[in-house]
Amino acid sequence: MITAGIDMGSRTVKVVLLEDAKVEGAPALQFVVKGKHLMFPGDLDADAAADQAFEEALASAGLDRGAVGAVYATGAGRKMVKFATDSVTEMSAGAKGASFFYPSARTIVDVGAEEGRGIKTDGSGKATDFAGNEKCAAGAGSFAEAMSRALQMSLKEFGESSLRSDRSIPMNAQCTVFAESEVVSLIHSSTPKEDIAKAVLDAVASRVCAMVRRVGIDNDVVLIGGMVHNTGFVKSLQTAMGVDEIKLPDMPEYVSALGCALLAATQRA
Amino acid sequence: MGSGLFGQFTAWYERRHDYARDWKARTGGQVVATMCTYTPEELLIAAGMLPVRVLGAHEPQNVSEPHIFGMFCPFCRDSLAQGLLGRFDYADGVTLTQSCIQYRQAFDAWRRHVPSVQWDYYCPMPNDVQSRHAKAAHRHEVRRFREFLEQLTGRALDEAALNEAIGVVNENRRLLRALYEFRKEANPKVTGLEAVYAALTAQFVDKREHNAELKRVIAALPDREMEREEGVRLMTIGSENDDCGFMAMVESVGATIVIDDQCSGSRYFWNEVKVNGDAVAAIADRYCERPACPTKDYPEHTRFDHVLKLAQNYKAQAAVFLQQKFCDPHEGDYPDLKRHLEAAGIPTLFLEFDITNPIGPFRIRIEAFLETLREDDLF
Repeated sequence: MITAGIDMGSRTVKVVLLEDAKVEGAPALQFVVKGKHLMFPGDLDADAAADQAFEEALASAGLDRGAVGAVYATGAGRKMVKFATDSVTEMSAGAKGASFFYPSARTIVDVGAEEGRGIKTDGSGKATDFAGNEKCAAGAGSFAEAMSRALQMSLKEFGESSLRSDRSIPMNAQCTVFAESEVVSLIHSSTPKEDIAKAVLDAVASRVCAMVRRVGIDNDVVLIGGMVHNTGFVKSLQTAMGVDEIKLPDMPEYVSALGCALLAATQRA
Repeated sequence: MGSGLFGQFTAWYERRHDYARDWKARTGGQVVATMCTYTPEELLIAAGMLPVRVLGAHEPQNVSEPHIFGMFCPFCRDSLAQGLLGRFDYADGVTLTQSCIQYRQAFDAWRRHVPSVQWDYYCPMPNDVQSRHAKAAHRHEVRRFREFLEQLTGRALDEAALNEAIGVVNENRRLLRALYEFRKEANPKVTGLEAVYAALTAQFVDKREHNAELKRVIAALPDREMEREEGVRLMTIGSENDDCGFMAMVESVGATIVIDDQCSGSRYFWNEVKVNGDAVAAIADRYCERPACPTKDYPEHTRFDHVLKLAQNYKAQAAVFLQQKFCDPHEGDYPDLKRHLEAAGIPTLFLEFDITNPIGPFRIRIEAFLETLREDDLF
């Protein structure tokens, strides 16, 4: 059966199409990703964006809607996916998806555009505990994005440049706007850009780490969400959490959508 | 009156200031704004007054800042704002019985800066209610409060008047407990939101009217058909909570709130005054013996076992801490109380409440929590 997972994030829509592959001798269901798609909802119409993303994912996989047995939705706008069979929270979807890549995962850190969260899992793909940021984006991707804008750098440059710094500059501001003031002050004092970038990413990592500590840090740690692409953040987070390794899946921003598709497949099997 | 079996309670809650104004107009009695549920309401009722508990409005406000620290709890700031905004302009007096220092600051700002208040009374109460001297000290304070009210009204608060008031308030407590009994059943005939409306309105509606309405509702409950799914049975724990939008949201995503340990709920009415021939002493003792607020629960943490028994008696599968931000007494209890419940197999979720709350993110957290409880179905 082909199933779909759709993650209606605060910034982007992610779709994963999944087919169960009957691998001879395999003890459990095996899956192959049939297609995936990410898009930016340009006109603020989340309903239409979900529809369009799904259609484009289907087209890229050469499928029509009738081929999909079940669609599970997750993310901030999951209730807006009218064609979804069911929906689950980001915590359950993230735990399931991350455990698919890394069955040894016990702590999952999910940092997307406007939310960061820590999820505990028990090895079976079940979310057993979680903690998330509230009312504040200072522990999420949009914060890093705003700061990279202030430094007139692309997000990629921003992350990579921080790796060239070995300075630790504390940022004390509790909110994105005040933090930007701190960045401007650092610019005015001729602080090198890579040091400022590291200061910002250390601050984001520190906030995320404090949140994850509420559920406890056990190995293996897996990072999912768009911030995986920010290499500087990954390093800052590893340092903050004090772990030897953070596992990074290949398609980090699709992990929750994949988790949805997996839940749809296992529940409907 | 609102619609449905609990419509009167909802209507009272939503138009609580209108109710108090109307009560004042039709009885000619004084209305007293009461801060904190340790207020010995029996004295005020015996004096012919209407005690009206100060509650917040859950609206953004910008008036409390000069009078109270920003890192005092949102309930303090919201309660003060309601006074400063003139929402209690019908209240003749304001009174606080000591519980936490933050709320005392709110009270102090109330009596200095709410111009419509004609009189105020601060009733000291031992926080160490476990001390062997506590009851004697509190009896003394309740006596002083009675003398103050007698001088204020020119009316003697004798044993007969006090016993009559005790009778009315005790009946209210018994009826609320009878209402709560229905919550022990499978798919209870009273939702958590309805119970909140019933318990909260008891704190500002004339008890005689409230008792009559409780009797009517309780009589109708056995025949009530519940068309909603029960879902996961939850307990709520915290200080004051009248965020009805939050309660409604929780009960719309696959859960029923079956019991609480909150001063807006069970802690307000749980135990009765034991009449013993000395009304003032009996009243004072009742407040020393009631299920404790964390400000009055040391050195022994008596509330930990009380909370656990409530959860077990009402078959709560999990508990949600509704933590008022910056409420130090409850935050202090949280780690140990969480462990106490989880050791007994009751998982918990912690949510931090402010004057206004982010209902969307809270919904995700509640739903995720419910998913972790239902994990065998989902995974």
